[in-house]
Parts: sequence; structure tokens; C-alpha cells
Amino acid sequence: MPPVLTVSGLIKSYDGVRRAVDGVTFDVKVREIFGLLGPNGAGKSTTIHVVVGLLVPDGGEVRIGAPGGSSGPPTDPAVRSRVGVAPQALAIYEELTGEENVRFFAQLQGLRGSELRNRTAAALQFVELHDRRRDLARTYSGGMKRRLNLAAAIVHDPQFLFLDEPTVGVDPQSRNAIFENILALRERGLTVMYTTHYMEEAQRLCDRVAIMDQGRILALDTVDGLVRAHGGKSVVVAALDGREARIESDDPISELVRLKQSGPLRDFRLEQPNLERVFLNLTGRQLRD
Amino acid sequence: MGPIFALACKDLRLLVRDKVGFFFVFGFPLLFGLFFGVIFKGAGSSQGAITILVVDDDQSEASKALIGKLTSAAEVKPIVATYDAAVDQVRKGERVAYVRIPKGYGESARRPFWGTPPAFELGVDPARKAEAGMIQGVITQYAVRDVMKVFSDPDALRKQTATAIEEVSKAEDLTPVQKGIMTAFFGALDSFMSLTLTPGVAATDGGAASDGNKEGAEAGASIGIGGWEPVRITVNDVRADRRLSSKPNNPMDITFPQCLVWGLMGCSAAFGISLVVERTRGTLIRLRLAPIARWHILAGKAAACFLMLLAVSGVMLVFAMVAFGVRPENYGMLAVAILCSAICFVGIMMLLSVCGKTENSAGGIGWSVLLMMAMIGGGMMPLFFMPKWMQSVASISPIKWTVLSLEGAVFRGYTVTDMALPCGVLLGIGVVGFAVGARLFTWQEGSS
Repeated sequence: MPPVLTVSGLIKSYDGVRRAVDGVTFDVKVREIFGLLGPNGAGKSTTIHVVVGLLVPDGGEVRIGAPGGSSGPPTDPAVRSRVGVAPQALAIYEELTGEENVRFFAQLQGLRGSELRNRTAAALQFVELHDRRRDLARTYSGGMKRRLNLAAAIVHDPQFLFLDEPTVGVDPQSRNAIFENILALRERGLTVMYTTHYMEEAQRLCDRVAIMDQGRILALDTVDGLVRAHGGKSVVVAALDGREARIESDDPISELVRLKQSGPLRDFRLEQPNLERVFLNLTGRQLRD
Repeated sequence: MGPIFALACKDLRLLVRDKVGFFFVFGFPLLFGLFFGVIFKGAGSSQGAITILVVDDDQSEASKALIGKLTSAAEVKPIVATYDAAVDQVRKGERVAYVRIPKGYGESARRPFWGTPPAFELGVDPARKAEAGMIQGVITQYAVRDVMKVFSDPDALRKQTATAIEEVSKAEDLTPVQKGIMTAFFGALDSFMSLTLTPGVAATDGGAASDGNKEGAEAGASIGIGGWEPVRITVNDVRADRRLSSKPNNPMDITFPQCLVWGLMGCSAAFGISLVVERTRGTLIRLRLAPIARWHILAGKAAACFLMLLAVSGVMLVFAMVAFGVRPENYGMLAVAILCSAICFVGIMMLLSVCGKTENSAGGIGWSVLLMMAMIGGGMMPLFFMPKWMQSVASISPIKWTVLSLEGAVFRGYTVTDMALPCGVLLGIGVVGFAVGARLFTWQEGSS
């Protein structure tokens, strides 16, 4: 099946000098959750803004297609109606109720009459805001606003959903709710592109992850593939008699047995390679630096 | 039209829920109008006297005395004029009314009980019924007071009685029976006066007798003595045509356009800033991601602003009419003026939206510009209070043209030709302002 999104050689500079996106190439498959992982300022949001047509690229090409259908640039209205975007900034009106917000954005998508009512109600149900639909958005918690932001992005039943840092400023409970929403959307058949600087989120949600830094994609694969390729070995951290030992090993169990046999082992922990380690190995910096 | 309608409804809803913005659109102009309306209304009532023109055809001592009395009266302020000038000024609406003292008034005043009473002519606009009634009352009061004075002066009354007996005997327009009755009446009156009002006889209770006579006479005058008509006033309808004078009918005629201008300014500022807010708070991103054109977004904002401008104008007009009795001369022209002003302020709204990158800077710069325009354009004080050079400078301000077009419809009596210039300027500012603002509008933070 052909990819639903193709990005090739994307370049975007600000002020004609600073390259925020520098030759980015990737594609996203149907019903995939594709993650862009990188620290703040890596170029993730700029990439998404170019991909959805908010910014004009200085070079490269973006094409968004429908499964089994034709593809086109993101500025094509027919393409736009198949796309939903939840921007990083909370793009909702605080002085409108949750229902008014969702209904307004649905109207902009061309929904009318009973379809408008049904889709609005369904979107609010989906993000579990139906009970608070008549309250002004400014009375919502940060997590509820994020969910409302998501409801406004999915109300027109898009095929492709772009989520730009959807969990920023959200408590753990709301974060989990958002994760469940995203996984449920994928089950419904949506393709999701997700940017985050939280390694755990990418690891939990994404089928494939592109690790981005300074406008470039450093590596792109499944989480396991990235870890295998760039995560290095597991590390056994052992508390021995008066000292701590850190031992990299491909076979940590055998290493622990060997340590136990060599003397008293007071404590130990195992550090598995993860995306944080992948990023560290690729850039020499921590993801949150 | 669907997206534009949705965008406009959303913006109107947001403005109504924004208490501060709503206050500056509706509340402040109403307070402005209330404040200045009450001041001007109060000022009007403290002046009290209505200026009337007096045409003295009689030129007698009695007519001059009457004018003197009117001059000292609190209710009216008489200005002597020729008949033609008086009619002309009333027709132009420059004066409320004229009063013509007829030839023969002095003669008639001397014989109040027979012959034809003095026939005053009151020229007044039929629309000004209240003033007409008041002036008739004042003329009657002061003219009859002359007659009353005769009763309070025994010597003068006895002289008048003697003259009356003599004139009655000579009168050719009276029948012998009438002559007999009147001679008997005046004879009895003379005897009564000599008995009760001569010094000595009246000494015991002279003051009381005098007062009693005065009261009786006044009572008689007030209730009418068998059809006695001391003064006759004929009303001449002189329909005022204010197009000839361009003078306001009501102090609020001047204040109303200024109040409305404040409402229009508040409205355009609120919507201009709201466009900046859309950008800084991120909602503009979602609007741009919808499958609609950019011009839809701006058209939606413009439509909401335009509708709110019309609503403000309607509310202000009703307020001015109900609270202060403003009666626009030409409602059709007023509608045209309001439409053109609304289009102009939609253009200004679009320009204000490019004044600053942030909500605060756009608000600060926008209001500074608006206040400057109001200051030089007659939005704070009427242009005719300003020096000539300032009135010329005012032409660069859209406020001047807004006020002028509204005044033209309210009291200046503008024709279509007269209205063409201010309305043309307003439309021009609106179209150019919107085009320039839309061209310069920054769609995304940090980029254009």
C-alpha cells in the first residue's frame, strides 16, 4: 500500500539564514502512528507546519494522499478536509463553550444539520467532555482543554491526524486519557503523526519514530529497531561491597550471575537501552538538555 | 457564505461575552451620550427664555410698553425685527416664532371692553406646538396685564371711564340700547370708584379694597366675562425648513453623531484586536487549516464587525431618540450615512489589526490612533469650536466625515449631492483601509 504522506527533501529557513528544517525525508503509512521525537527547537513543529500547509517550504515536497485515492499538496482544500490538526498552542476559544468550539470548527469543515449535531456530540463523547459541553472552555482544566483541542481536530472525521505536542502541560491522568484516545483513533483506521519531546510517549504509542535534531532526521525506524541499532548494550548497575559497578553487556543475566559468584551483591538494577539512550548516542546530548 | 456566516456568528458571540469589549462598544458611548446629553439639556433649560422676534406695526407707547414687558419677562427674549425678516428667520428655523403687534394695538388697549380686541399674529412652525402654546400664554398674560393695571389705578380708571362714556355716546357702531346699557354701566362704575377708592373713604380698608379689586379683575379676566376677549391671537403656520439654516434642532443633534463615533471606534478597535488575538492564541492556525480561503476568514471578521457597527448605530439612534428627543430630518440619508460609516470603520478595523504584533501593542497603538483621529476630527468637541486651521486639518480624519454625514442626515438637511462627498470619502477609506490591512496582515506569529 502506498504511503499516505510523503515528505521528500524538505527545507525551511527562518530569516533566510537559520535552517529549521534541513532536508527532511520520510513517509507515513496508512493506520500508522508515526512519531517525530526530538528536543525543543529540533524542528518538529516547523516540519508539521510545512507538512500541513501552514508554512511554505523553501525546498522539497509534501504530498498527502487518501488510502487508495489520489494525493495532493496540503494546501489543496480536498486534502485539507481529510486532515485534522491539533496544534501545540491550544487553538480553542476560551469564551465559547466546549460544544460551541467543536461545532464552530465542524462548520468550517462544511458540516451542516444533523450531521453537524451528531459529529459534534460524538467528538465530545470521544474525549469525555460531553458532560461539560455547556461550560465555557476557560473553566476547563489544562487536560480538558487539550482534549477539547483534540475533539476540534477530529470532529470532521479526518483520515490523517497531526498532533503537535498534544500532552504539553497535562497532568498524568489526562495524559493517559489522551493516549487512549489516540490508540482508539488508530483502531478506527486513522493515520497519526505525533510530535513529542517525551521519549516515553514515543516509545509507548508510536509504530515508527524519527529522531530529529537541529532540523535533521538522525534516525528513523521502529522503536525496537532504533534501540537495537543505536541504543547500545544493557547496563547492569550493581552495588557491591562498598562500591558501585556499571557493566555493559549483551547478556545481563549471565553478568549478574558472575557478579554474585564473585562476592556479596547488595543490590542491582538493569538499565535497558531506550530512546533516551538512542538520542544520547546519536547526538552526545540528553534528550531534555 | 457558510464559513463566513459561521465566522461572523462566532465573533459576535465572543464580543458579547467579552465584558470589557462589550462595554467599550455599547456602554461607553451610551454613557458619553448620557453625560453630554444631560449637560446640554440642562444648559438649555437654564437659559430658559425662548428667543422670539417681535414686529411692532403699531409703534405706539402701548406697543413699546408691551415689548418692554416682554423684555423683562423670564419666559421669552424678544428681538424687534421687520415682518419680512421675522418670517424669513422662522422659516429658516433660526428662530422659534415671531409675534406681530398689529397697528391699532395701543388704541384697542385703551378700550378693552368694546370694539375689536388687538389681533396679534403669531408665526410659528406647526411642529413646535409646545413653544407656540407657551408664547400665546405669555402674550395674553402681558397684554391683559395692561388692562388689569387700569383696575389697580383709580385715577386712571376714572379717566378711562369718563372717556369711555364720551366715546360710547359718540359711537356709531352701537345701537341706542347698547349705548344706554354701556353708559349706565360706566356711570355706575364711576360712582363706585368715587365711593370706594377715593382717599379717606378707602382709608379704613384701602389696601384690602384695592387688592380685592385686583383679585376680582384677575379672576374676571381669567374666567372670561361673558365672552370678553381682551386679546386675539391668530397663528400663522410658518413651516421651518432647516435645510436653509443648518442649525440643530436639539443640542443632542450635535452630541448624537459624536456618541455614535465612539461606539464605532470601540467596535472597530475590539474586532481589530480580536484578529491579533486569533493569531497570538493560535486559533488562527486552525482557521487557516480549515478548507476555506484566507479571504473567508477576513470576510467573516469584516461581516461580524459590520453587523456590530450597525447594531451600535441602531442602539445609539434609539437611545438619542427616546432619551433626548433627537428627530433626524431624513431617515433615508441617515441610513446611507450609517452604512458608509460602518464600511469605513470595517476598513479601520483591518488597519488596526496590523498595528501591533501582540494584543497589547495592537490595543495601545490602535486606541492611540483612534483617539488622535477623534481629537482632530470632531469626535471630542464639535469642529465649529476649533480654529479654522484645525478645521482644515480635520479633513484627514475619518471621524470628521463620519460626523459630517450623520449631521447632514440629522439636522443639516443634506441632499444626495451634499452627502456624496462625506460618504464617498468614508467608502474610500473603508475599501482602501481593508485592502491595505488585509495585504499587511501577519498570518502567523513571527512570519508573514
